Amino acid sequence: MSIRFCVALALALGAAIAATPVPAADDATTQALQTLKRVAREGKGNEDAGPAWKSLVSKGGPALMPTLEAFEDGNTTAANWLRTAVDAITEAEKTAGRKLPADKLEAFTTNPKFAAAARRLAYELLVAQDPSARGRLLPGFVNDKSLELRRDAIANELDILERVARPSIKADLEKLFAATRDKDQVELLAKKLNENGGKASIAEHFGFVTYASLVGPFDAPESKGFTIAYPPESAKDTGGKFTGKDAAELKWVPASTGDKYALFDLNKLLGKHKNSVAYALATVVSDRETPCEIRVTSYTSVKIFLNQKELFGRDEYHHGTPFDANIGRGTLRKGENVIVLKICQNNQTESWAQNWQFQMRVCDDTGGLIPGVTQLSTDGKSVPLGFSLPQPANKEEKK
Amino acid sequence: MNRYILTTLFALAPTVTLSASDWPQFRGPNATGVSDEKNLPTEWSKTKGIAWKADLPGRGASSPVIVGNRVYVTCSSGTRDDRLHVLCFDAATGKQLWHRQLQATGSTACHPKTCMAANTPVADETGVYALFATGDMAAFDADGTLRWYRSLVGDYPTITNAVGMASSPILAAGRLIVPMDNAGESFLAALDTKYGKNVWKVERPRVISWTTPLVRTVGNATELLFAGPKGLTNYDATTGETRWTFKEGGGSVPVGTLDGDSIYLPVGGVSRFKIDAKGIAEKPEWAARDARSSYSSPLLYSGKVYTTDGQGFITCVDAKSGKQNYKERVKGAFSASAVAAEGKVYFLNETGICTVLDGKSDAFEVISTNDLGETTLGTPAIAGGRIFIRSDKAIYAIGK
Repeated sequence: MSIRFCVALALALGAAIAATPVPAADDATTQALQTLKRVAREGKGNEDAGPAWKSLVSKGGPALMPTLEAFEDGNTTAANWLRTAVDAITEAEKTAGRKLPADKLEAFTTNPKFAAAARRLAYELLVAQDPSARGRLLPGFVNDKSLELRRDAIANELDILERVARPSIKADLEKLFAATRDKDQVELLAKKLNENGGKASIAEHFGFVTYASLVGPFDAPESKGFTIAYPPESAKDTGGKFTGKDAAELKWVPASTGDKYALFDLNKLLGKHKNSVAYALATVVSDRETPCEIRVTSYTSVKIFLNQKELFGRDEYHHGTPFDANIGRGTLRKGENVIVLKICQNNQTESWAQNWQFQMRVCDDTGGLIPGVTQLSTDGKSVPLGFSLPQPANKEEKK
Repeated sequence: MNRYILTTLFALAPTVTLSASDWPQFRGPNATGVSDEKNLPTEWSKTKGIAWKADLPGRGASSPVIVGNRVYVTCSSGTRDDRLHVLCFDAATGKQLWHRQLQATGSTACHPKTCMAANTPVADETGVYALFATGDMAAFDADGTLRWYRSLVGDYPTITNAVGMASSPILAAGRLIVPMDNAGESFLAALDTKYGKNVWKVERPRVISWTTPLVRTVGNATELLFAGPKGLTNYDATTGETRWTFKEGGGSVPVGTLDGDSIYLPVGGVSRFKIDAKGIAEKPEWAARDARSSYSSPLLYSGKVYTTDGQGFITCVDAKSGKQNYKERVKGAFSASAVAAEGKVYFLNETGICTVLDGKSDAFEVISTNDLGETTLGTPAIAGGRIFIRSDKAIYAIGK
């Protein structure tokens, strides 16, 4: 039986089960779920949520599916109330020697309309009870919105590819490479793909901005540049002149990067400066209005602006460069969009506190490329995100 | 005046609310790393001297905490380290009583050595309060019922510490005290234990730190002594008001120890200061500059102060004079703080090796060296005649 047949069968089965009417949750369960979903900032609603949680859990097995269905992708506080209720319900069912409803869990797991976290949880409950579900379901999750399901599915496919030599291995790897989201898995697949005759560009995969205009340094006394709004903050284009550090006249300067991870090193591009602020401006073009994430990796404090609107800011210096740690969520309009990134530098003198750099990418909420979104190169041409002209090999590579 | 001094001295005893055999918080019942337990083990290995062992679903630099017959442990797991676990075991048998998971709502960025389960939970007879480095915080009753949950990063979105947070919550004046020193909205807060709502919240310097507040009682007041990079601040635990600040008492990771009218602080190596109701004396009585602490807190035990560091050095100084008794190097670096009981001092290094020293002796006398062969970053706990050690893979109850 082929994997494709198994997937088709699982999806068909899932759709059939999903289509069958599910008994509605009783009033008490519905009320408890609504109470848990109403909890707001600073514990507002906790006094009602505690009793609601107990009431929900006391319903036992019948409350399991309604609780999973109550998860919403955007409500993380409620998700944790619900998640712990699922833990308590399933623990009690196991203690009582009762099986979980495998058919319903499978239908739920394979139905993308439900929240990613809940589907992953349902999948884990199902696989704990029926380990064969793993092989049956994973192939259907290669492009799933649950990043955990997606990761496991890709790892599973890769494992199969490595065990069974296929003539289509390059094409198969290309599909997996396009689907993968986690940096370690991206690097692994890029390596495998290159080894099998493919050509994997990590920068294009992640959708990095590789063309930007830079301006700086602006003076940031006492390392307070994060809170000072310098004129480029509201820039609509790369026009204009500014007064920078030591009264220097500043203009936007075009820059590009051919780095594997599209790193812009400001120490090299603008010079080493302390107590300073610089800005990068990039233009991305979208063929339609679409939600987007602008993800930035930086050692230092940053602010992200899209079309003159501040999306995100984080004021932290030299505590490492966690990938994608800064995420601005916004909407690209149809046509040209101006992204301005503010990158600050403080006055720390330690050798490990000298980095002043950034990487920036534009992606969807899974970290994947958004179809129809490109960037403008230095000469105004529309090119793919991550694109760069071939770079001259450095001394190390020549060796 | 004499009456004032006597009243103050009597009242300076650390707050004790639970059975002496419990280990309810970071560094035990009095936050000193010292237990009154007896019949403790000195020799063990992975296959010897273990009362029970339970596998854990993830990593953790947090300590286990024990109240009554409940052992609580936190872990984190997942590709993004965003699965947060709270587990409860039967202290006698090791049977897992319940396991709850939370999904991280804050950043999981951190130094690779640490993880999101770095803050030690605090427990009382009603249950456990678990804070994670992601700012997710939950209170569970002893039976696993979720009493309340807070996403502190959801509440205060600028919270950030890309090195990873590790300060531990404590219970004081009937409140849950939450230290949240970080580079964004930095604060110390008291939450009501029933619903998890803020009773008070005071601003702190926007600097990352990993210390845990100490608690003491002066007269009718319960105080919190909280060290940060800009000094040690004394807060009224009931109101959050600042009572005084000791600028020389700053710290970032190790925590000091209170002992009557003295406080031993990890500054200038380790230093002993006089402390009274009005504050800490400007000059230390002594400073042992060679007694260095990196991640682990100094231990005061049986008239001696012990420190451990990242190079594997154990330093012992006389508590009265500050004179060094010895400085010896053993295998491995230390993240866990030393703990002591029954005349024995336990030094657990980062690779699972625990060196047991004779705490009665002024000389470096090794009683035993025990190897679990696993990564161990959390401080051990002592309760019920056993030592509880959590590794990145399992929790061990060592003893009979």
